[in-house]
Amino acid sequence: MKTITTLGMVTAVALSGMTVSAIADTSDKRIALSNNYAGNSWRQAMLGSWEKVTGEAVENGTVAAADAFTTAENQVTEQAAQIQNLILQGYDAIVVNAASPEGLNGAVKEACDAGVVVVSFDGIVTEPCAWRIAVDFKQMGKDEVLYLSDKLSEGGNLLEIRGLAGVFVDDEISAGIHEGVAETGKFEIVGSVHGNWAQDVSQKAVAGILPSLPDDIVGVVTQGGDGYGAAQAFKAAGRDIPVIVMGNRHDELSWWKEQKDASGYETMSVSIAPGVSTLAFWVAQQILDGADVPKDLTVPFLRIDQDNLEDNLANTEEGGVANVEYTLEDAQAVISGAS
Amino acid sequence: MTGVLHIFRQPWIWAWIGAVAVWLATATFTQGRGATEVLSAAMTFGAFFVIVALGQMFVITLGPGNVDLSIPACMTLAGTVAMKTMDGSAGMIPVGLLIALAIGAGVGAINYALIRMLRIPPIIATLSSSFIFQSAAIWWNRGLRVKPPEPLGDFTTAKIAGVPLIALLVMILAVAGHVLLTRTMYGRGVVAIGQNIRAAHLAGVKVERIRAATYIMCATLAGLCGYLLSAFSGGAALNMGEEYLLSSIAVVVIGGTSVAGGFANVPGLWGAALFLFLLVTMLNTFGAGAGVRLVLTGLIIIGVIVAASGGKRRT
Repeated sequence: MKTITTLGMVTAVALSGMTVSAIADTSDKRIALSNNYAGNSWRQAMLGSWEKVTGEAVENGTVAAADAFTTAENQVTEQAAQIQNLILQGYDAIVVNAASPEGLNGAVKEACDAGVVVVSFDGIVTEPCAWRIAVDFKQMGKDEVLYLSDKLSEGGNLLEIRGLAGVFVDDEISAGIHEGVAETGKFEIVGSVHGNWAQDVSQKAVAGILPSLPDDIVGVVTQGGDGYGAAQAFKAAGRDIPVIVMGNRHDELSWWKEQKDASGYETMSVSIAPGVSTLAFWVAQQILDGADVPKDLTVPFLRIDQDNLEDNLANTEEGGVANVEYTLEDAQAVISGAS
Repeated sequence: MTGVLHIFRQPWIWAWIGAVAVWLATATFTQGRGATEVLSAAMTFGAFFVIVALGQMFVITLGPGNVDLSIPACMTLAGTVAMKTMDGSAGMIPVGLLIALAIGAGVGAINYALIRMLRIPPIIATLSSSFIFQSAAIWWNRGLRVKPPEPLGDFTTAKIAGVPLIALLVMILAVAGHVLLTRTMYGRGVVAIGQNIRAAHLAGVKVERIRAATYIMCATLAGLCGYLLSAFSGGAALNMGEEYLLSSIAVVVIGGTSVAGGFANVPGLWGAALFLFLLVTMLNTFGAGAGVRLVLTGLIIIGVIVAASGGKRRT
């Protein structure tokens, strides 16, 4: 059975028109994951997916090793030192979720110079020698407003919950939201708070600003991890609950499901699947295999709508985030889409 | 007349003046709209700050170098384990509370053991132990958000005549803290140690016993806060205590307690907790960008601290 799978993979590689040397397999190659943070449910799911998918890959002999390393303090210096250690330990590729886009460039350059393939994802690095699997966060923000525009044809007042101030992701999503608002021309953002992507912080910030806002808020645009907190704050203030865009967390989805069953509440949910770590793994494997991979790739969003809510909720671990794990074929599709 | 002047010499008055000023500014900006609701929200969220700040205040008062950095990790561990154990069942509410308090007490005992037996400075000891507690929470829970039992959730969000019930309870807790600080051997001992540990020892204060009790009390209060906060916000999360590290210290210092130890007061904790929440709310309401907001928060906090320490300190 295993042979068949391997054979299938090899055929897929050959069929997708990449280098013939793809058959020169990667079974003796070692890949490391350098991760900067593990203290929330998204990161826990990300590490879980990595373990599951790479565990199978190692067992199947696709690669020799795929070890995950996480730094304790989410600090650039610490992660730079970690990458240097990984170079010394002789890994063939390092998959990085970086603490800073620029801060690790020195260490990444050292890795490239030592002949190590570096693939960054989610928290990407700007060093040109590394590959980047980036998220189009701006589009994600814009999609939220476009959804609201379809659903609420009258337009109206919106409340924006932002992420952690000063982080690039927060600026990008917010820029997309504002672009969407400008393009659709029927919404006004009447309030904006920072929820730090955390449920309790969002609840507190929304509870604080809500009394000063007009009564007719029709929608809440969010960045993920903050939707449930916003719902709690609206409920505590005794207000009608507007359309709150969710971010694929289990608490958000289960709250949505409760409202849907009780009153036909409609919204949508969008985020990045933590399993993107496995996409990065397969991309690294493809590069080691000699495939011609463009330096900039884009991760697909995981979007949940009214009709597939139940399926996604059932597949989401309690306390976790809706997830998909990527296969070699998915990675090849992303690669050929970019080139 | 002297009475009025006297009150302005109290180190805690500035936090209260600040709180009232930012509240009035917010209310003026919105033309009175939602002013009472904002106050009600401030009391709820202020209550959580006060619980942890009360413990932190006693620790900081012990003198230079004494601070508990393990509060967020302790809150997370206590909150997550308690929620998971209760698993939404109303009958388990007292058990959950006991577990949260016991975890807090255990954390405090470990912190003190590191400080006393291994002679590690408190900042390092509590920082390193916080890694262990946070990892324990991750290992035990893996990001699980279990909903609190419904009666407990209702209890933490209940209001009596518009005043959050939890704020009333924390006010009682604060009064108890005030009596403990000013009217008991223990409280006077804490202040004496903070002013001069050697003199306190020679005067017969049981220094080590008091230090142990203080660290254990601080962590137990953090455990209680983790328990109540996860009930309030509909479940525990791994990052739930994050902002309580700096806030707990800021509330203590803005409240007029000396960061060098030896001088403390409880009324300032409530003033500072309300002030911090109302300040962020005010800047949000004004629509200030994140950068402006952080700069202003910093400047205003510096202003209040300078004003509070302007007069001569009195115990």
